[in-house]
Amino acid sequence: MSTDRAPTASRQPSATRSAGAARLFANALTYAFLLAAALLMVAPFVFSVLTSLKTPKQFNTSSPLAAPDPATVENYVSLFGERYDFVVPIAVTAQVVLVLVLGQMMTSILAAYAFAQLRFPGRDAIFWVYVSTLMIPAVVTIIPLYSMMTSLGLKNSFAGLVVPFMFGSPYAIFLLRENFRSTPSDVLDAARIDGAGVMRRLWQIMVPMNKPILATLLLITVVSQWNNFMWPLVIAPKSEWHVITVATAALQTQYNGNWTLVMAATTLALAPLVILFLIFQKQITSSLGITGVR
Amino acid sequence: MNARQRVEARAGYLMLVPSFIGVGVFLLLPVLVVLGLSLTKYNLISPPQWYGLENYAYILGWDRFRNSLLVTLLFTAMTIPASITIGLLLAVAVNRRLPGTSWLRVLYVLPWVCAPLALGVVWRWILDPTNGALNAILGRRIQWLADVDLALPSVAFVQVWSTVGYISLFFLAGLQQIPTSVYEAAKLDGAGPARTLWSITLPLLRPTMFFVTVTSIISSFQVFDSVYAMTGGGPRFTTDVIASRIYDEAFVALRLGRAGAMAVVLFVVLVAITLIQQRYFRKRITYDMS
Repeated sequence: MSTDRAPTASRQPSATRSAGAARLFANALTYAFLLAAALLMVAPFVFSVLTSLKTPKQFNTSSPLAAPDPATVENYVSLFGERYDFVVPIAVTAQVVLVLVLGQMMTSILAAYAFAQLRFPGRDAIFWVYVSTLMIPAVVTIIPLYSMMTSLGLKNSFAGLVVPFMFGSPYAIFLLRENFRSTPSDVLDAARIDGAGVMRRLWQIMVPMNKPILATLLLITVVSQWNNFMWPLVIAPKSEWHVITVATAALQTQYNGNWTLVMAATTLALAPLVILFLIFQKQITSSLGITGVR
Repeated sequence: MNARQRVEARAGYLMLVPSFIGVGVFLLLPVLVVLGLSLTKYNLISPPQWYGLENYAYILGWDRFRNSLLVTLLFTAMTIPASITIGLLLAVAVNRRLPGTSWLRVLYVLPWVCAPLALGVVWRWILDPTNGALNAILGRRIQWLADVDLALPSVAFVQVWSTVGYISLFFLAGLQQIPTSVYEAAKLDGAGPARTLWSITLPLLRPTMFFVTVTSIISSFQVFDSVYAMTGGGPRFTTDVIASRIYDEAFVALRLGRAGAMAVVLFVVLVAITLIQQRYFRKRITYDMS
């Protein structure tokens, strides 16, 4: 896997010294660049966590860059206290993510299987319609969805948060169909000859054979739903239905300047996904190869 | 159709029912609804009134909408060249596979999995004039987000920060598809590293470059969360990107007809970009390595 492509100096004895020096310089430059970039990437996360561990008094009397001395969880305690009640947004977000992940996975698996393995009139035309909806941006559907959901009386409700997005996503269907199509059909054919119906072939053969892509899709869905902001902001502005992003934004607006408290909120909003990503980074980034083909 | 085929067809249609609700009711129908709404005057309280093309006529001559188009274009022009250049450099540097660097690339992708809203709030603190981290480092009191000349570049910087790692992954994938033999041939011909990058790597990365550019333009035209968190469109509308304008018109000013017309204009622009991309790609795809 890790084949070194840098030229080896020993192969060209005529230019050994200068080539060696040039390579050393290039390597040093590469290290410096990569480390500087890494530092710039991580610093905001580190600083915000450090700030969340300070008391407002510490924060106001020392440099914003100073380490908390002593570190305190006071901000987190008051976030979960009665006044801000961050338990609610965390619980709402967890439920929304759960329902949307289950809904999207189930409906997308069904649709992808139908498109990939079954034959019926109009299949390719319907698939083409599905794929073309990939072009529709969220900013365009948000106004009509809002007026549809409010006219059904679903503003500030759990249903309002999840209903428009729980019936599968064209992106997931597209991604799964590609994978289901390339699954070797002899296993499926053998199962059919043995009398396995469509549903058994799907759940007992297709799904287990495609575990990696399903895991990747699951993770991307969790990430995108946890981070979702614009739709929850418009459909559920009431604090009892705040998701974590909306609650963080509201806290920031309301207590502008109380940065230690606000940074505790952003840490809560960011930490679960940062941890998830650090554990499953291979599965999450591997979706890229597929999106790249799109 | 024999019996087995009929059973299979019926199963197929049944399996499409749930997703068809998703696509039909919650994606295609809204497009029709927004087209309809854009031809009305509608404030959510009284029923929509027919307004013809008045909304379109109004927004096309409206300073605030033109300003948003300009701000979005400027934002795109500031972010895309920077994030593509840095993303490519990162990919080239990572691809040298120096010992101890493989775990670093995990860090570059970190902002991509994070909520743009939460990152925006973090950056709002970092860029805070009195208590922010950046001014503490610089020992200055610069109004990064409140100065009309600095706000858009600051927001653009944060966008570049949060997307370069993700973009570099595409370039890394592209770089790894270039066969080593091409580089060996170049070396035999005496090409130095700069020459190799310019004459071999970059031309062979063209499909990746094009793909990344177009998808970045599309997402940059829709940026909302981070702007909402950092500036809310201000100061004096200098960061009022299209999505912020649509949001404000629809959900703050409650002019859903006018907001709908702006959304339709944005949609047309985005579809045009996507179609151009697809046409270009179909022509270029064979040009790619095989």
